[in-house]
Amino acid sequence: MSTAAAAPATTRIKGVYAHFDCFLTGIDRLKKAGVVGWEVAAPLPRHEILDIVYEGRPSPVRWWTLVGSLTGLTGGFLLPALTAAQWPMINPGGKPVVSLPAYAIIMFECTILLGALFTGVGMVVHAGLPGFFVDKALQDPRFTDDKFGIVFTRANPSDQQRITQILSETGAIEVTTGDDTVYEVPNA
Amino acid sequence: MEAIRPPSFPAANRDIIRVLFKPSALYLASLGLSISLVGVLGMALLIQTWWGMGMAGQNNASFWGTYIVTFVFWVGIGHAGTLISAILFLVRSKWRTGVYRASEAMTVFAVMTAGLFPVLHLGRLWQVYWFFPYPNQRYLWVNFKSPLMWDVFAISTYLTVSTVFFFIGLIPDFAIVRDHNKGLIAKIYNLAAFGWRGTNRQWHHYMAAYGFFAAFAAPLVLSVHSVVSWDFAMAVTAGWHSTIFPPYFVAGAIFSGCAMVITLLLPMSYLFGWKDYVNEWHYDALAKMCLLTSAILTYAYAMEYFIGWYSQNPHEWEIFRWRAVGEYAWAFWLMVFCNCVAPLPWYIPKLRTNPWVLWTIAGLINVGMWMERFNIVVSSTAHSFDPAMWRMYAPTLLEVCILLGSAGWFFMWFLLFAKTMPAVAITEIKEQIEPPLKGSLEAK
Repeated sequence: MSTAAAAPATTRIKGVYAHFDCFLTGIDRLKKAGVVGWEVAAPLPRHEILDIVYEGRPSPVRWWTLVGSLTGLTGGFLLPALTAAQWPMINPGGKPVVSLPAYAIIMFECTILLGALFTGVGMVVHAGLPGFFVDKALQDPRFTDDKFGIVFTRANPSDQQRITQILSETGAIEVTTGDDTVYEVPNA
Repeated sequence: MEAIRPPSFPAANRDIIRVLFKPSALYLASLGLSISLVGVLGMALLIQTWWGMGMAGQNNASFWGTYIVTFVFWVGIGHAGTLISAILFLVRSKWRTGVYRASEAMTVFAVMTAGLFPVLHLGRLWQVYWFFPYPNQRYLWVNFKSPLMWDVFAISTYLTVSTVFFFIGLIPDFAIVRDHNKGLIAKIYNLAAFGWRGTNRQWHHYMAAYGFFAAFAAPLVLSVHSVVSWDFAMAVTAGWHSTIFPPYFVAGAIFSGCAMVITLLLPMSYLFGWKDYVNEWHYDALAKMCLLTSAILTYAYAMEYFIGWYSQNPHEWEIFRWRAVGEYAWAFWLMVFCNCVAPLPWYIPKLRTNPWVLWTIAGLINVGMWMERFNIVVSSTAHSFDPAMWRMYAPTLLEVCILLGSAGWFFMWFLLFAKTMPAVAITEIKEQIEPPLKGSLEAK
């Protein structure tokens, strides 16, 4: 006797749009219909897409930037200050052992360096990169060319009709489900 | 003059990708010449390492010579790329789009080239690690109060941030190249693109990060050459100890960098048939940048003389007098001609779009900016405070080989870039094209 409940079956649904305004309408209608679990793909970063999808919520990458910058600023002071304090008898140019104006350059450079590197790491983490294993429905070369896509990777089969209807009504040039969502390059 | 004018998204993809992987005979000849020059650099380095620094022309007075002149020259060249890609991104300047990718590549390769010279100047290459702060077995540390150590931090940070910024910008374009190819090439570009698919999640965090990178890179542009200028200005040497140096160096760097962008992009855009993407609009803007920075440089040159005279410091006045009438007067007047006089025809708008005039003046600026660094580095050390220490300096054949080899090294990387990476930012070009619309927008 099986003790685990059977996982609900899910299906893929994909709508491909040739027109940007239709695509935006499709996203908007899905949001208003309360349908969740979709991702969109586009060949360029238009703010209209992000405005609808994220409704102005900023990316958490900024916290990585802040932490990296503060780490760099602190490290950029501590490294020269502590190493100078280790050898206080060496006093080049008669400057104070811990000389803030002279260390400001190192602090600035370390702030920029670690801030930028942390930002890069934050982007990779939050954007889900590397994306080598994203769902096959999203691996569509038309989305880096001139088409826009709305993709459900785990749609509830009971919602399938409603979703495909919204996609078709909003002007998707192609609506596919299940294994048909995997795009075969013509003449490949 | 028209801005960027590609007809559609697929046309932008096609036009920029079609030049990749198909080397022409001219390209192969250029690459072969560049690699040969790198070979010359390697041989010269081997000779200098084997026989010692005496093979180069430096002496006790002129201790920096061609190596540091060329170091400052290449760091300066590396400025326009990040200026164009970061500062013009933050101010939403549209003309940057066509030229920023090649300019960024130029920055990365120029700083890689510049980085060779402090190592070459060391002589004992195996002690290069002494540049970097690390807790060695004697617990000795580098002197963080020295401008030379500031420079190590500035250049390393600039190279790292510029390289990361460059590759982050390339990610969506690598994905486009992947999707236009098959087999092994597609696999390689998929790796380079980190498996990019252009999802909302990817674009959301990518755009946030890109903005932060631009915000970080912008002050770096101004700081790096300021720090390089302090290598000189922090010393008491006559002709160097001046507060005007940081803005003067930054303006000079942007001047030479923009001229190098014209030098590289003009033949490239014509050979690749990219008139829709890089055209008179961009060259006009670059020439105006050169005019502005040339005016700043001319003012700085004049101010150096004025302050030398007004300060009544005999050493300061003597070095400036000697630069204009002494043994290196030819270098001084060549600098004045190339940097102050040669760009003047660009005040006539028609000459800012004539390819032959553009290329000739940009070439003269490149020569003039090398001469400027020669004037600063060599004349002040060759003619310092004590007449008993006056020593003339001239580069030896070995130094000339290393100078030419550095150009080969730079052009080799740039040529490899031109055939393996999209030299115009496809995704950003698409942002300037009206997306296909049906006219049925409901969403607000």
